[in-house]
Amino acid sequence: MCRGTNSCLKRTTDMEQYSILGRIGEGAHGIVFKAKHIETGETVALKKVALRRLEDGIPNQALREIKALQEIEDNEHVVKLKDVFPHGTGFVLVFDFMLSDLSEVIRNSQRPLTPAQVKGYMMMLLKGVAFLHHNNIMHRDLKPANLLISSSGHLKIADFGLARLFSELGDRLYSHQVATRWYRAPELLYGARKYDEGVDLWAVGCIFGELLNASPLFPGENDIEQLCCVLRVLGTPTQESWPEIVELPDYNKITFKENPAIPLEEIVPDTSPQAVDLLNKFLVYPSKQRCSARKALLHPYFFSSPLPAHHSELPIPQRGGRPPRQRLQAPPTDFSVDLPLQNSVVDPALLQGHASCL
Amino acid sequence: MFHNSSQGKYWIWKNEDEIEQKRCKANLKFRNKILESGKPGLSESSFMERHEEDVLFRHYERRMMDFCNAFKPAMPKSVVGTAIMYFRRFYLFNSIMEYHPRIIMLTCAYLSCKVDEFNVSSTQFVGNLLQETPAGQERVLEQILEFELLLIQQLKFHLVVHNPYRPMEGLLIDLKTRYPALENPESLRKSADDFLTQATITDAGLLFPPSQIALTAILNSASRAGLNMESYLNECLGMKEDKETLSKMYESMRRMKTILKKYELPKPEEVNTYKKKLERIHAEFATSSNKRKRGYEEDDHVTKEPRLTEEIMSDEDMS
Repeated sequence: MCRGTNSCLKRTTDMEQYSILGRIGEGAHGIVFKAKHIETGETVALKKVALRRLEDGIPNQALREIKALQEIEDNEHVVKLKDVFPHGTGFVLVFDFMLSDLSEVIRNSQRPLTPAQVKGYMMMLLKGVAFLHHNNIMHRDLKPANLLISSSGHLKIADFGLARLFSELGDRLYSHQVATRWYRAPELLYGARKYDEGVDLWAVGCIFGELLNASPLFPGENDIEQLCCVLRVLGTPTQESWPEIVELPDYNKITFKENPAIPLEEIVPDTSPQAVDLLNKFLVYPSKQRCSARKALLHPYFFSSPLPAHHSELPIPQRGGRPPRQRLQAPPTDFSVDLPLQNSVVDPALLQGHASCL
Repeated sequence: MFHNSSQGKYWIWKNEDEIEQKRCKANLKFRNKILESGKPGLSESSFMERHEEDVLFRHYERRMMDFCNAFKPAMPKSVVGTAIMYFRRFYLFNSIMEYHPRIIMLTCAYLSCKVDEFNVSSTQFVGNLLQETPAGQERVLEQILEFELLLIQQLKFHLVVHNPYRPMEGLLIDLKTRYPALENPESLRKSADDFLTQATITDAGLLFPPSQIALTAILNSASRAGLNMESYLNECLGMKEDKETLSKMYESMRRMKTILKKYELPKPEEVNTYKKKLERIHAEFATSSNKRKRGYEEDDHVTKEPRLTEEIMSDEDMS
C-alpha cells in the first residue's frame, strides 16, 4: 500500500498503531476517540473524519484544520497535530489527549477562580493567540470550549475548523458566519465580510470577562439579541466611536434605541483596575483599536500582584464534569524553570530511616 | 511563511535529476506491479516509456490550465497555481499509467478550490464541464470525490502551497517604495506575469522557493526591457556584502531560465499516439491495478468511456 518514497519508512500508517480506550465526544466532522499509541504509550485523541455520504467530499473544516496546524511550528499553547493518516473511507487526525477544557473549568470549579488563576489562563491564551497571529492565522472561533486543558494544567488552543490564513492577497471576502455567537465580534454581527484578526481579540475579551465573572459576558439568545447585549454594555455605536460602522452591510438594517455605555467596572465587579483596563482594550468597536495579543502580554496586569498562577496551580477537572478521581499515577513531571525548586527536592528527614549515610 | 512550511521542508528538490529519478521510479513501480501479477503476453513495450508519459503529462497539464482559466466564476491565480502544483506533486510518485491524469487533474483543481477557500459548490464545479450532460457531470463528480482521498494522501496531507504571485506583488511594492531609479515598476508586470505562468508548468516550483521565482521573473522582465537592476540587488536587497549569496542566486536564476526555455509543447501527433497507448493500458490493467476499490463499483467508467471528461476543453489547446 506504500506509495510515497520516504513516508513508508517511518510509518506503518495505520490505526493499528493505536488501541482505542474510549469515546470522548462527537465533533463537527466526526467522532473523537481517546486512544493509546502502542509504541510510546502516549495517550492521544483521534478525530475520525468520515467521508461517506458527504456531498462535497472532504469537509472544509477538516481541510482548514490540517492546513493551519501543519504549517506552524510547535507552540506550548496551541494543540499539536501529531499525525494524519487515511483510514477506511476517511482519515484520522491525531492530537495530544487533553483532559478538559476551559468551559468545564469555569463551570465546575468549586470556588470562583482566583485573580491569579484568571491571570494564568489569560497569559496562556494570549501567548497562543499571539503565536497564531504572528503566523498569519485567524482562529475565528475562540471560546472557552475550544481552549483545552492538559493534565499539567496547560491551556492549548484547539479546533481550527474555522481557522483561516490571512496571507491571501486581494479582496476575497470572508464569511461572517463564523465564531460562536457569544464570542462574535460586533463587526461580524453587522455582517462584515472583510475583517481581520481583531475578531479573535474580541473573543479574547469575552473570555476574559467570562473568567472574571464565571458567567458569559454577552449571552445573546439569537443574533439580534447578541447585538443588543453588546450595545447595552458598550453603548450604541456612533460615527465617532466606530467610524467604519457605516460601511458594514447590515448597518442600516437595524437601529437600536440610543443608550450610553456602562462602565466595565460595573459589568465585572470586584475586579482589579488593571484587569478592567486590559478588558477595556479588547472590548472596543473598531477592530484596529483592539489591543494585539503580543502587546497585551506586556500590560501591567500581568506584572502586578497577584502574579499569574503557575500552570500547576490551576484546577483540572475531569472530562464530563465527574469529580476528579484519586490520582493513581505520579503527578505530571513537566520540567519547568518556573517551578519552585523546593518542589523537586526531597526532604532528607524522609529518607533518614532508609539511608544509613544520613 | 515559506521557511518553515511543508513546501520548504518536503517539496523542494536539489536538481532536476533527483526529480526525474522519482518519476522513473514511479514508472518502474507500475511496470513491476503488473509484471508480477503474471498476466500473460506482457512485454516491455506494453508500457509507456518515461518520455511518452512526459508528453501526455504536459498535455493534460495544459488542459487543466485551460479548464481553470475558463472556469466561471473566475478562478484566482493562486488557486490555479496550487492545483497545478498538486498535479506535479502527485505524479512524482505515481505513474499516469496507474491513475489517469484526466480525473486526477480535475481532482487537483477541486481540492485546490477548497483549500484556497475559493468557495464553489461541487455542482458548480462540475457545471464547468461544459461538454458534459448533467448526468455526465454527476458521474465525474463521483469520480472526483473517489479520488480526493487518494490525492490528499499522496500529497502527504501537505495542503498549503506557496505560489510566487504574492512575493511578486511584494517585490513590485518594494521597487516602488525603495528603488526610485526605476521609473515605472508596473511596466515590468506583464512580462513577469507571463514568466510566472510559464514557470507553473515546469519543475521550477519543485526546485526553487517562490520568492526566488518571483525575483527571477522581475529581473527577467527588466532585462528584456533593457533595464539594469543590479543596483537593486546590491543596495536594496543587501547583496553587496554577500557576493557568495549573490552568485548562488544568479546561478539559480540561470538554471530557472534554462528550465523554462527547455519547455516543449506536446506535439499533437505524439499526444494522439500516446493517448491510445494510455487508454489501452488503463483498459487492460485498471481493475487489477486499482487498489482503492472500496467505494467504486465501476472504476470502469474512467476507462470504458474515455471521452467522458476528455472533451472538457475541446477547443484544442494552443499546440
